[in-house]
Amino acid sequence: MQVQSMHFKQTASTKLNDAVLQKALKKSKSKFVDGRALGVAEVDNWEDIRTYAAALRDRVIDNLDAYLIEFERNAIRRGAQVHWAETAEEANAIVLGIAQKNAVKTITKSKSMVTEEIALNGTLIGAGIRVMETDLGEYILQLADEAPSHIVAPAVHKSKEQVAELFMNAHHKPRLTDIPSMTREAREQLRSHFLGADMGISGANFIVAETGTTLTVTNEGNADLVTTLPRIHCVVTGIEKVIPTMEDFATLIRLLPRSAIGQSIVNYLTLTTGVKAPDESDGPEQMHIVLVDAGRTKLVGSDMKDMLRCIRCGACMNHCPVYQNVGGHAYGWVYPGPMGSVLTPTYVGIENAGDLPNAATFCGECQVVCPVKIPLPDLMRKWRERQFDMKLRPFGERAAISLWGFFVQRPRLYALATRIGARVASMMGGEQKLIHSLPGIDGWTQGRDMPAPAGETFRELYAAKSAAKQVAR
Amino acid sequence: MKVGLFITCLVDLVRPNIGFAALKLLEDAGCEVIVPASQTCCGQPGYNSGARDIAKTLAKKVLAEFKDCDYVVAPSGSCSGQMKLHVVEDLFKGEPEEAEFRALAAKWYELSDFLVNVLKSEKLAGKFKGTVTYHDSCAGLRELGIKTQPRALLETSGCTLNEMQDAEKCCGFGGTFSIKLGEISTRMAENKCVNIGVAGADAVVGGDLGCLLNIEGRLRRNGDMKTKVYHFAEVVAGMTE
Amino acid sequence: MSARENILARIRGQTGKSGATSEGELAAVHAHIARHLRGPLPSFAMHDPQEHFVKECGRLSTTLTEVADLADVPREVARYIAAQSLQPRCVGWQEFSTLDWQSAGIQFDNRATKPDDMIGLTGCFCAIGETGTLLLLGASARPKTTALLPETHICIVKKSRIVPTMEDAFALMRNEIGEPPRATFFVSGPSRTADIEQTIVIGAHGPYRVHVILVP
Repeated sequence: MQVQSMHFKQTASTKLNDAVLQKALKKSKSKFVDGRALGVAEVDNWEDIRTYAAALRDRVIDNLDAYLIEFERNAIRRGAQVHWAETAEEANAIVLGIAQKNAVKTITKSKSMVTEEIALNGTLIGAGIRVMETDLGEYILQLADEAPSHIVAPAVHKSKEQVAELFMNAHHKPRLTDIPSMTREAREQLRSHFLGADMGISGANFIVAETGTTLTVTNEGNADLVTTLPRIHCVVTGIEKVIPTMEDFATLIRLLPRSAIGQSIVNYLTLTTGVKAPDESDGPEQMHIVLVDAGRTKLVGSDMKDMLRCIRCGACMNHCPVYQNVGGHAYGWVYPGPMGSVLTPTYVGIENAGDLPNAATFCGECQVVCPVKIPLPDLMRKWRERQFDMKLRPFGERAAISLWGFFVQRPRLYALATRIGARVASMMGGEQKLIHSLPGIDGWTQGRDMPAPAGETFRELYAAKSAAKQVAR
Repeated sequence: MKVGLFITCLVDLVRPNIGFAALKLLEDAGCEVIVPASQTCCGQPGYNSGARDIAKTLAKKVLAEFKDCDYVVAPSGSCSGQMKLHVVEDLFKGEPEEAEFRALAAKWYELSDFLVNVLKSEKLAGKFKGTVTYHDSCAGLRELGIKTQPRALLETSGCTLNEMQDAEKCCGFGGTFSIKLGEISTRMAENKCVNIGVAGADAVVGGDLGCLLNIEGRLRRNGDMKTKVYHFAEVVAGMTE
Repeated sequence: MSARENILARIRGQTGKSGATSEGELAAVHAHIARHLRGPLPSFAMHDPQEHFVKECGRLSTTLTEVADLADVPREVARYIAAQSLQPRCVGWQEFSTLDWQSAGIQFDNRATKPDDMIGLTGCFCAIGETGTLLLLGASARPKTTALLPETHICIVKKSRIVPTMEDAFALMRNEIGEPPRATFFVSGPSRTADIEQTIVIGAHGPYRVHVILVP
């Protein structure tokens, strides 16, 4: 996916004034936030499970090489072919190579954020292969030629009227008005694609070292069809997705759907291990697993390694007040919200995503809801530290911090400066004691008044009072 | 009991009344209050802007100013979170000063927490006859668990609480965020003001001046000159005028 | 150097480990896996599994009936089919082909599922009380598509095979058949989507209806 994260501020501004989007965000917020709260409330030892899950993810990330080798060994033993890709380009070339070698004409896909990262569809379509997204949300976006705006609910920004329009034009059928009919029509349209595809591409929510199994989690059942019907199944996934055992999956699946949408379980947990037996009537003849790095090893062992625990539930964005107001597209790449503000600079470079770690008030909601306890505000702050050290923020901002730093470390000078500042600003406030505009902080005063200072600082008033007391004694 | 009063940089500069309200509450409860004259800031603005070294220098300065007190109290959840949490868990973690900062953190309290859980104050000067709605500031709420303490104090001083919807949602202040990403910050403040309006209280009360300035700034820009905006210390100390 | 070697070397470098992954490190991984450690369980996972299964099926929109004997299944299927106004024809797993379908008036076919089959009948390896989930293990005589392509999925569940948790299901699988077969899948109610305006619609790409028949 093409990176647009450098335009965060401008895009966010547009999105704040997009009425359709604002309506969609309000609606989804209540579903996601209230849904999660209800789902989590059912689990009396939620915190214990979180702690356990964070530790099990850490164990893998700290020994990632050994767990990947074990996964690979078992996957090959069960008949899969395992490929490794250092970059997005390599991953795309591997998948395209598999398709071309097997004369693949049509591909069905179930939702995969890694394939969004590497922009796989573009590569395949460019080579003349027909690619159909089958997750309903992804299908809608494919028709609209748009990127997902959310990692769990990709088309959350679209209204049903917009979807109806897209379906009418793409399906050449009368315009529908209700959501169940639209869903049914999409099902009918996609059925023939499922049945006729030469190759199915899925992501993986987890890959299990113990058995060489890849695992997908869906409500629609599309991943089951994608991994079962075509003669070739190709899994594209990140190297950090490995977990040791099936028991670990059982733990994580208690957290994932509840965190995402408040469901106790998703409708389909699809475990695929190897290829079909000669006497089986369904299942792929070839299974390929592409393990993608594309920036992940930069996080391994680093001060941001906690990010690799992420299980892609979307709770951090659902609860983020910034995301709730600007939506996912403003973030300009695959991963919106707090997790994106950590991952995007890592994967596409901080120079292309400088506003993202700053697009947070550090309110801490993301960290509280994260099922694997990723300290997202701390990780965003680490990016801010790197930006400061590398002098990547605008000059005015850096100068302001340096100037502030100079004064606060010198109490006498600071006292003098604040006495003058308090008086000047107090006068600017006038009778209403409100400053309507102030150069340098126009980011504030464009939408808000600045309540004016009282005129004298606490420290000078306190000193005067203390002196008066001394005299009185 | 020697209690150090940490005056936040915003209180010092913009609304000294909050500092005097905190002072009164502590003195009324019989504390010997120390107010170091050299204090400036806890360092959080630098810390959250990536200027780690400045934040560390300021933390050391705060330590030197307050280490001899039995307790340190601040009328802010945000500065308290900086000194109780970030300084020990991040800035000085594994460094020689860690133990000293841990000792400081252990005796550092946010004002409402100190009044309720240490002093167990029951007689308060405030007599606010009216309805208030309380905004939970993020750092106090999520880093320190400040939730029931200020409400208990407000009720003791005669306030009727009208809870607003999403009281725990960020108001959009976020320090420099409010300037760097002013448009988003303003929208978040607007959402807060809508909920305040629906709650229909005489005053909106909070525990961090940053949030209060943000909320007040948006209320006034919207033409609401009526809804009062107070720090809980002002209400509870009877210093709202 | 291959991509594989580069990636593994980078991981080693980043975690401060020298050389290639050692036999000792791999042995530690094997040992950890072999323990099959279980995480903490919420207290409802310890409830009576059969009772909880029934309750959870209700939440998932899975319908459920109980019969006294496996031989009663065709009659129950006939009742269900009539109630849903469906055609009395189903495709199903081999193990159920010996039941007396004819006297229940149902045409039962044991074959690969075709796209226009409307009802699929399967058994399950076991079911999970905690979440109302069915665990199906695909095999030549038990094709996965039977549970997936038709609009209605009827699943026969032996009550004695309802285990409390997913961990228990995996343990049972290990004991009885060893490794997970190629197609191992957990079904929890009819397929659904909420991709248009977060409105839940039953029947996305999988079945519209899941009906469980409990047998002794």
